[in-house]
Formats: sequence, structure tokens, C-alpha cells
Amino acid sequence: MQYLLLIYTDEKLWDPATGTAPAVLQEITAAHMRLGAELQEAGAMVGGNRLQPTATATTVRTVAGSQSLHDGPYAETREQLAGYYLVEAPDLDAAIAWGKKIPGGPNYAVEVRPVHVM
Amino acid sequence: MARDAAQILAEAVREAGDRIRAALAIRFRDLDMAEEAFAFASLRAVETWPRDGVPRDPAAWLYAVGRRRAFDIGRRTKVRETAVHDAPEPAPNPETILMAAFEPIPDERLRLIFVCCHPALAPEARIALTLRTLCGLSVERIARAWLTTEVAMLQRLTRAKRKIRDARIGFEIPEPDAWGERLDAVLATLEIAYAQAYEDAALASDAADLAAETLRLSGLLAELLPEEPEVLGLAALVRLTESRRPARLDAAGAMIPLSEQDVRLWDGRLIAEAVALMRRAAELGRSGPYQLMAAIHAAHASRLEIGTTPWSDVVTLYDILMAVRPSAVTAVNRAVAVAEAQSAEAGLAALATVEGPERLAAWLPYQAARAGLYAKAGRDAEAAEALKAALALHPAPAERLFLERRLAALGA
Repeated sequence: MQYLLLIYTDEKLWDPATGTAPAVLQEITAAHMRLGAELQEAGAMVGGNRLQPTATATTVRTVAGSQSLHDGPYAETREQLAGYYLVEAPDLDAAIAWGKKIPGGPNYAVEVRPVHVM
Repeated sequence: MARDAAQILAEAVREAGDRIRAALAIRFRDLDMAEEAFAFASLRAVETWPRDGVPRDPAAWLYAVGRRRAFDIGRRTKVRETAVHDAPEPAPNPETILMAAFEPIPDERLRLIFVCCHPALAPEARIALTLRTLCGLSVERIARAWLTTEVAMLQRLTRAKRKIRDARIGFEIPEPDAWGERLDAVLATLEIAYAQAYEDAALASDAADLAAETLRLSGLLAELLPEEPEVLGLAALVRLTESRRPARLDAAGAMIPLSEQDVRLWDGRLIAEAVALMRRAAELGRSGPYQLMAAIHAAHASRLEIGTTPWSDVVTLYDILMAVRPSAVTAVNRAVAVAEAQSAEAGLAALATVEGPERLAAWLPYQAARAGLYAKAGRDAEAAEALKAALALHPAPAERLFLERRLAALGA
């Protein structure tokens, strides 16, 4: 079964101008690389990406059949979707175990969502 | 004859129902299907036993018929092929063939407890699911205990069962690295049931069933996990508080505080069971909050033997509990114990340090404790004011009666 692990962080902390020391960001990036390798080795890696900040997002909204574009993410939240992993796991516990391994500094959240089986 | 069959069925359901439901749920990895299959088997028993005679092993019969039913449902819906692929094709007419059969029912209750109490489920859903699935308590009864409607409770249960299925919550015993977290979730779930059963004593006359199920569940867990000291501690805690149920209300239905209860009404058998559990837990050598809470209640229970409550021991135990698992409830109870061990003023000083719910003044246990301590200190006007504040916070009927009586005694 596949699970999407959605990573939510305060993206301001990732902006070099306002946030965290570059060395810390480098360490987190390196930890992501290590996790990616571990997922590959376990045969659990389906995919994953880091996303550009929400300032680059465009939302296409359809209301009553007519579509319009909006500058920005779907929802304005304190923490933003920053990246994801798509993993193969036998059950929720195994997916949560991968979710717990995702690095990201002192404060962040990982949502574990099963992929709908067709 | 018919009456006998009904009695035997009721007995089999009472004694083996949880085991049968658990075995079905784990085998087919579907809680709904297990429930439906078990209900079907019970119904078939009602229909066929009076006519054909009672099977030699009623529980095994119920399990086999339930399993057959689950298999049929699985085949019909086809979506659960993977879950049932290892189930053998059952005999064409199991009900007659099984009359003389004996087959042990696998004990899957521990696995089912871990499924129902999975930390990925909301706490209130966990306990409802556990009481429904393991104890067979009706949705209506569970809804009543948590002061919600049957429809709302049914939705909560349905949502939880759907999550177990769709997010694929594992039906295996947790791996060692997840063991602590998963066991904590089980303990926290049983603690909610226990707190509710305890609370219920003052509310409803039919609370006994919830309390009985909590006793049974905590005892079962202690039986299944005899090497986990906190599991033994929780089982002891539940027994100690339950031992006092007969002494908690007076003839008028008013609450009697612990220190004023007639110890002759306490259930000595439950206390002895608790003490034995605590001894076993202590031998395992890993203390924790449930063992500490049990120790506090055991200190109170020792009044049965020694005639007085060892209040300074109680205070010491509360000090340790505050260090291990600080909470506002513990801090308030500690302040009351300090008042008994030292003086009412010392208790009030301890109460003044309580940090807790944001609006402490609107919190009933705090106001009730405050009233008691002021009264003990002879500060009647402040006691009356606290009693009035407590009464304004919608206490349960038994506590209301108690508080009103205290207020009347102050002449206010």
C-alpha cells in the first residue's frame, strides 16, 4: 500500500533572509538525502520532492463550473506544505515509522495519508 | 428445554463472546464483518438450539458459524479477497456437523486491543471501539456514558473502523520499537474508561456495567501482559477505586468523601486482588504513574486494616506523581492530602500553587477542594463562597447533594 507523507513547516524559517543558519539547512538537506537512500534500500521509495515556497503557488479554483486563478496556495496556514515522500509500506505503523524519520528542524509536522486503492 | 438453550447461549456469549469477536476480527481483518458475523451466529443459535439441541461446545459452535458467515460475506463483497485467502472452505452445513465438534478458539484479544487503541485513532474513538468490539457493549450504552447521542456515537465508531480499514492499521502485535507508544495508548484508553466508570457512580444507577467492563478489561490486559508493570498498576488502580463503590453514596444518594466512607462497606476481595497485582508489579522493578496512583489508593485502602489514613505517605506519593506526570487534578488532590497531613493552612498554600485549567475558578474539583480546605481552617465565609461557586458549576446529583449539605451546615 502507498502512503503520501506530507511535510508541513513554517517556510519563513527556510528563507535564508529571515530564518535558519545555512549550516543547519545543509544538515537537514543531508538528512533528507540519507533518508532517501534508506527508503531506496528498503524498496519503500516511490517518489518525493521538495516544493518551492507557497509564494510561487497558483491555485486554480472552480466554482459552479467556471474557473479562476488565484495567486497563492490553496489555504493560508501557519505552516505550509513544503515537500512530500510517496512510500510503499505494509501498514500504517510502517508508514508512520517512515514519517517519524523525516528531518525538518525543531518544529514541523508530517501528515501520513494512505493513497486510495483503485 | 428452550429456556436451557437460551441460558446456555447467554453464558457462552458472556464467557467467550469477547474471544469469539476478537478471533473473527483478527482473522478477517475487519471489525464490521466480525460484528455482523457474531450477531448472525448468535441469532442462528437462538433459532436452532431449542430445535436441534445445544452443541457440545457452544462457544466453538458460535465461532465456527460466525467464521462461515464472515467467509460468505467476504466472498460476496469480493473486496477482501486478500484478507480471507487463507481461510479454508468451510463445510457445506456447519451447523449440524459442528454439533459434536470441539475446536479451540484462538485468543486474539491482545491484538484486537492494540488495533482498537491505536494512537492514530482519536482517544474518544479508541475507548468506544474497545467497549464495543471487545466487550460487546451497545452503541446506545456507550453513547449514554459519554453524554452523546447514539447517532453521533455510531458515526464516531464508523469513522474509526473506516480509518482502520482504509489507512490499513496493522492487526499485528506492535514491533519492539513502537511497543512503548502503542502500550501507552492502550493504557490511556483504559484510563478514560476507568475515569468514566468512576464518574458514573455518582450519576447513574446502571453505571455498574461500565465499571464491570473496565474491571474485566484491565484484568484481561494484566493477564495477557503479565510482564508490564504499568498494566498491572492500572488493573490494581481500577480494583482499588471500584472496591469503594458500595461506600460512595449515602442512603439519600449524596456523595461521601473517601476519608468519611464506612470502611466496612469496602470490597476486601478487590482490595486483596489489587495488592497482589501491585506486589507483582513491584517485583518487575519499573515504576510509573499507574503504579503510583494505585499506591496512593492502596494507602487510602489501608485504613481498612490500620484504622487511620497514612496521610504523610499519601503526600509523598503525590509528590513523586507530580514529578513523573504533573497534572492539575494531582496537584489539587495533593493539596487536600497536605491539609490532612499538616494543617488546613498548609493545604490552602499548596492549593494556591496549582496551575491548571486556564479558568481555575470555573473548575469544579478546584472549587470543591477549596471549600473543604477553608471549612477545615474555620474560614466559614470563604468556604461558603467556594461552595456556592462549586454549586454553580453543575455538579453531578450526588456531589450537588453533598455540597448543598456542607453549605447548610455552615449556616449560609
